[in-house]
Amino acid sequence: MKNDKANRIIEKALKQGRKTLSEYEAKQVLSAYGIPITKEVLAKDKAGLESGLKKIGFPLVMKGCSADIAHKTEKGLIHVDIRTAAEAKKAFREILAGMEGYEGGVLMQEMIKGRRELVMGLTRDPQFGPCVMFGLGGIFTEILHDVSFRRAPLEIRDTKEMMQEIKGHKILDAVRGMEAADQKLLSEMLISVGRIGLDFDSVMEIDLNPVILSGSKPVVVDALIVLK
Amino acid sequence: MFDRAGNTKIHKRNYPATDYERLFYPRKVAILGVSSGENSIGFGAGILKSILAMGFEGKIFPVNPKGGQIAGLNIYKSVEDIPEDIDFAIVSVAARFVPEALEACRKKGAAGAEILSSGFSELGTPEGQALEKQIQEVAAKGIRVVGPNCFGIYCPRSALTLLPGPDLSRESGPVGFLAQSGGMSIDFAHAAKWMGVRFSKMVSFGNGADLREAELLHHLAGDPETKVITMYIEGIKDGEAFFREMKAAASQKPVIIYKGGLSRAGARAVASHTASMGGSRVIWQSMIRQAGAIQVADSEEMAQVTMAFSMLPQKSFRNITVIGGGGAIGVTACDLAETHGIEIPSLSAELQERIGNHLPKPGSSATNPIDVANPFVGPQPLREILLAAAEDPRIDLQMIVSLLFHYQGLAQAMNLSVNTVTPFRELAQAVRDVVDRTGKPVIAVLPNVKRGLESMDVTEMMAMARQEYVNCGIPVFDEMHDAIRAVARVNTYYGGRKK
Repeated sequence: MKNDKANRIIEKALKQGRKTLSEYEAKQVLSAYGIPITKEVLAKDKAGLESGLKKIGFPLVMKGCSADIAHKTEKGLIHVDIRTAAEAKKAFREILAGMEGYEGGVLMQEMIKGRRELVMGLTRDPQFGPCVMFGLGGIFTEILHDVSFRRAPLEIRDTKEMMQEIKGHKILDAVRGMEAADQKLLSEMLISVGRIGLDFDSVMEIDLNPVILSGSKPVVVDALIVLK
Repeated sequence: MFDRAGNTKIHKRNYPATDYERLFYPRKVAILGVSSGENSIGFGAGILKSILAMGFEGKIFPVNPKGGQIAGLNIYKSVEDIPEDIDFAIVSVAARFVPEALEACRKKGAAGAEILSSGFSELGTPEGQALEKQIQEVAAKGIRVVGPNCFGIYCPRSALTLLPGPDLSRESGPVGFLAQSGGMSIDFAHAAKWMGVRFSKMVSFGNGADLREAELLHHLAGDPETKVITMYIEGIKDGEAFFREMKAAASQKPVIIYKGGLSRAGARAVASHTASMGGSRVIWQSMIRQAGAIQVADSEEMAQVTMAFSMLPQKSFRNITVIGGGGAIGVTACDLAETHGIEIPSLSAELQERIGNHLPKPGSSATNPIDVANPFVGPQPLREILLAAAEDPRIDLQMIVSLLFHYQGLAQAMNLSVNTVTPFRELAQAVRDVVDRTGKPVIAVLPNVKRGLESMDVTEMMAMARQEYVNCGIPVFDEMHDAIRAVARVNTYYGGRKK
């Protein structure tokens, strides 16, 4: 069954003729499907900034957030490890200036600590329909291409195989003093990503990268949803 | 496609009712487009002569508007002139006459037809596509069609054969094979003959206007004669249906897939990393794994893995022995085994001592791999060694590497032919005996490094040796890496078999 909240967000974007959801919207869709995301607030003005600081606390990540902006890192629209209100205000000004009038706001989110980055995603194969991806995230996604796919709907067994299939699967174990990843939660997340693909024909692609292991718990830190 | 909870719906198998019995084992066959001979031999005459050469036991009705005779048979001027109903038709008339010919066959009671003619959708022209659509319209009225643009059905039990296939085996076996490509089909049929792979049926379905991959896979999954399914795939029509049938079939019997034409990157313009990494190569690999089928990389591996599945017991083989001459064989075996998740465990001291008693000294080794040190160790000691090694309860399978080409030197020294000197018959018998006594399969690896013109005697002897082993039911591989890789594929299926 289509999730109502996710449906409203996607329908609104489609009505506006948009090809992507903003990061904030994408995360709201994910959250509606029970996928753990960063605690975050979209601030559009000073009042929003103040309330965001109270809700999220420090350290903080601030990002320019608009459906029209891709490649935020290259445009200097991401400020990380913000530790004071003064730094936050400065970042807020700089980001808004850098957005050059694109509609949107500044996404204020908790900074997730964790050295292990994973990727999840969805692509719509012309033959087999929605296929879910799992693999090593962050910069390693493009460098190592260490990923596996399964067609939706996924069963728990499929998700276990996906995790086992990547060459770097030991990243999920207890290594170098880090806790073993919560594989049950990872399974549920993969199944949910597949479900979004099945529920919404208009969702063409999903990128959740990175998904950072905060201790044992995976959290989606950045998200892209591409619409038809 | 899916219900609202995202579960795959229970699909109605709404395939048309099909009399596969009359398709694969027809008693009365019409062959349309048989020219009576003054012209060069066309497809129709070719297939007729092939089927006769195969020893078809039923009735054949050749058809050509000009009439005449061929191979002692009267050629009927039209399908309507055939004096009785038919089971099956082979159509090789020009494309524009095909829909009408097919309709005539349907009215004559044919359950199915294979259309060898080309000139349809493969041309990419509106005319070709329109003709193919007409074929589909006739098919929908109640005649199942294989093709057009195909080499047709090969079925050893009935003697139906592929287009240039007068000399294929009449021995039935466990393998069902499906491919669009006629060339891939006929090549595999010929290779299978000397490799010892035998077919229940083979279908090259060309353009697949009517019967095609998903439905045929569904049929083979339920066909009691077919124990192993092998497919060569270029394109599929319906990914959802194919995935469903592949998964259903693989839950019952091994399904081996050779997918040709894979690309590394996604072909479409995409915005996300996920989509850019989901090229057909990785997606197909994932789909085949998810369905529990086995993927092979090329036609050689396809034939080898099919042989392994069809000749080995239905289980996985984690621990093996390797018996061969020369230390490098042992090292190579260990390297390969590790790559493929197979163990070559050392045998117990007691077994090593008993095996050692049969080995030449010095230079041999009775640990596992067992190095027999010279290529002329005879069938009797090898039999004893294999029997002893099989006593280790961990061992699931044995692999014997025989460097028979070395007998050429011995033959020349004795002024005898290499066929006479090489004890391949006794070796094959000894291996068969070991399998019967121990219940553990043995694979023979028969490499031949002497393939030059000056060694045609060795090439001939190797072919005779292989046939001897195959006749004894022993699978033979040219190279150890082929054998170990094939065993690993069998292990993937039976070891990871979904319950």
